[in-house]
Amino acid sequence: MRPLLEIISKGVGLSIQDGGRAGWRRFGVPVGGAMDRHSMAVANGLLGNREDAPVLELCRQGAKVLILQDTWLALAGADLGCALKPWRASHVRAGTLLDFSGRQAGLFAYLALPGGIQADQWFGSASADPRNGLGVVLEKGVRLLANQRAVSFSDDRIAGRIAIPDERRVFEGLVQLPLFRGPQFAAFSEVAQNTLVESEWTVSERADRTGFRLEGRELEVPASIASEPVLPGSFQVTGSGQPIVTMVDGPTVGGYAKLAILPEAARDRLAQCVPGTQISFRWLD
Amino acid sequence: MDFHLQSYGERAVFIQKLSGRRQSCVLNALKVSPPHGFVEYVVGYSNVLVILDGVLSAKRFPEWLSAIPEVNQADLLPTRLLEIPVKYSGADLAAVAKMAQLSIDEVVAIHSGADYRVRMMGFAPGFPYLDGLDSRLHFERRASPRNHIVPGSVAIGGRHAGIYSVASPGGWHILGHSEHPLFQPEMAKGPAPDENAVFALAPGDRVKFVAIN
Repeated sequence: MRPLLEIISKGVGLSIQDGGRAGWRRFGVPVGGAMDRHSMAVANGLLGNREDAPVLELCRQGAKVLILQDTWLALAGADLGCALKPWRASHVRAGTLLDFSGRQAGLFAYLALPGGIQADQWFGSASADPRNGLGVVLEKGVRLLANQRAVSFSDDRIAGRIAIPDERRVFEGLVQLPLFRGPQFAAFSEVAQNTLVESEWTVSERADRTGFRLEGRELEVPASIASEPVLPGSFQVTGSGQPIVTMVDGPTVGGYAKLAILPEAARDRLAQCVPGTQISFRWLD
Repeated sequence: MDFHLQSYGERAVFIQKLSGRRQSCVLNALKVSPPHGFVEYVVGYSNVLVILDGVLSAKRFPEWLSAIPEVNQADLLPTRLLEIPVKYSGADLAAVAKMAQLSIDEVVAIHSGADYRVRMMGFAPGFPYLDGLDSRLHFERRASPRNHIVPGSVAIGGRHAGIYSVASPGGWHILGHSEHPLFQPEMAKGPAPDENAVFALAPGDRVKFVAIN
């Protein structure tokens, strides 16, 4: 089978991601997968793929991908300045260079191939987690195939398909995200509980697939706890009084008190916030 | 049985304040007859987190939990014992001996003389938090964590002993090195790898350290 695309440049971050690996957290294996599950699912849906089929996840800028065959592709998530526009399927000619030259809005873009990317699995997932030796390492010159057996559309059905407005996301403007109370909510002072939702927070430069640090007013820190499970989206408050929001490649257990946790859809939204983005939060009942 | 439950996000439930025996009961029930919509569980020091497939399954979970049987320790899944050879030549061995006001040989004898049990796993894939560390070796983590610790580093931190399973930063005191692989990612390939081929240990296993030259 002939490859469909070739990596010309990795840019800031380029990896294969899918719906993540379930069932291995009790051994310390992070769930991993796409940082923004929603956008991954939309990109796949536009091509009739399983919503968690392997896609290319592109971060910020600098990635370049050469298309080797005429094909349908779908892009969703961040607008990284590629000629291919997000939230739609497009027909692309062999020889086209997709240049994700600069970020317009959002942080992570998702490029879906017909049937999904054909890739080996580790723990039932093709998601790359290089710190833990899982997944394919994408370098310049690596060629990827589409999983032809999983293709479920015909050209006449897909032509010009665009995500419906409900599925699209706008990664600009004010960001206000809802929060559930975290497991140690009651251990925090009332001042800390209120500060989290009454003041503005800024996404730090120290934001990656393991966690997003937030900067803002210092929170009073309760005693650390015996190590216990941590879910992605949790606000762990470290000794510095600043929260780290655990993301999908973050550790499965931790000893910092957890003040709050984002609903999964809000975690998808946080993943699209570039460093410097101002965010406010509100408690859900 | 009565349990202290706490919801965590939209589809996970903490079972808090578990004694070792009740934690074993819960883990046994999760393996033998998992609840509706069960996805996976994660073991904590004194709790278990159960992750379900959605809000509705999470709502139904307390009903399942209230009906799990009380099991005798003898009826629970058998525990394994793993003997791990350790070369005691770690970078912090002398410093730990000094803090403990013991000789290096005494530290080695105490660390390798204990009977450990995997209380939980995490931090990194295959990293065991071992219960059973002699209280003479309980020390706060290093004030400045190391940036790079090699896999196989046998270490102590707080009340726990552990073994670094992947290259990572870390703040525990390193006593020695083991060649026993704890996590083999190359064995994790495929849709449903064999956990015993990928990981040397699982929660509940017993561990003994054997000093070698």
